[in-house]
Amino acid sequence: MRACEKIYRKFHKQSFTVAVRICNNRELAQDVTQEAFITAFKRMHQYRGDSPFWGWLRRVIVNHAISALRKLPRHDAVELEDYMAPRDGDQDGLGQCMDLEQALGRLCDEDRMVVWLHDVEGYKHREIASLVGKTESYSKTRLNRARKKLRLFISESDQPISQEATFNALA
Amino acid sequence: MTANDQWKQQTSDPLGLSNLEAIEPGYDGWAQIESALQTHQDSKRNWRRAGGWLAVAASLVLVISISLRNGENTPANETLSPGFATPETSLASVPVTDNINALIGLSQNMEDQVKKLRQETNSMPAESAIYVAELEDLIAQVDNELSLAPDSIDLWGQRVNLMLDLAEIYQQQWQIDYSHMASL
Repeated sequence: MRACEKIYRKFHKQSFTVAVRICNNRELAQDVTQEAFITAFKRMHQYRGDSPFWGWLRRVIVNHAISALRKLPRHDAVELEDYMAPRDGDQDGLGQCMDLEQALGRLCDEDRMVVWLHDVEGYKHREIASLVGKTESYSKTRLNRARKKLRLFISESDQPISQEATFNALA
Repeated sequence: MTANDQWKQQTSDPLGLSNLEAIEPGYDGWAQIESALQTHQDSKRNWRRAGGWLAVAASLVLVISISLRNGENTPANETLSPGFATPETSLASVPVTDNINALIGLSQNMEDQVKKLRQETNSMPAESAIYVAELEDLIAQVDNELSLAPDSIDLWGQRVNLMLDLAEIYQQQWQIDYSHMASL
């Protein structure tokens, strides 16, 4: 049990991050992470030790996150501002990260999941396709679309607010 | 970072999503996980205990069936005087069909148990896998013989015995996996 606790402490943050990136909801991600750890510990004997442990655990988390998303008809938007604690210096970098965070949060579930799994977690299109039960070309299309949307959202946030937009917002 | 690495990153992660910081969970869920695992272990322990009792019951039934066979082969008036009740004679008075039904039920229970154990132990050393394959061959042979003589107590007893051996291998493997996990 102590060994399990060590594993939990070591991988909790990483696991929670993956769950939040896929689910886009802290509460759901918390449930997903908990369930995924319980499943992983119960099925520890299935880990053969021929690949990094994190890769195996991440797969369990991703599977749980995807099935949690499937169960929900819709879920609430995430509170993006809570994710990043302000740091001193590197204001430009921080601003870019905030833009990217917010842009990522605006993507639909499938686009966000595909772009995150491919670009950050290093999943191949074949793997993503088998995870969501679709074809490889579906994954490729989703990835392109997601990247385009992200660029668009970031460029929107970079532009100064026009008088018309301000008027619309106030109205 | 080399130019090649930079190029790779630009193509695989052109927006730099991997530069985003990890998210602080802000909670500690270990107690909940520990309690869930404890419940799981307790139920597993109970199940193993039940398996142990089942094995004892199987052995008892085997002993009874062997005694019955011996009773059938020994002439009743060879050593005993008429009307003298012994454990053997009282066992022989139990209807044979009841014993066969008990053995069939036991065999099915053992089959379920082996199925569960097989699901839980995915990795197995080559030696154990070979032994499992041999036992499964023997079970298949007994099944063939049973298809010709479905009422043979001896064959049903053999089948239960082989299933017990099979369950024992899986059980040992499970214990090895478990101790391996505990030593992490």
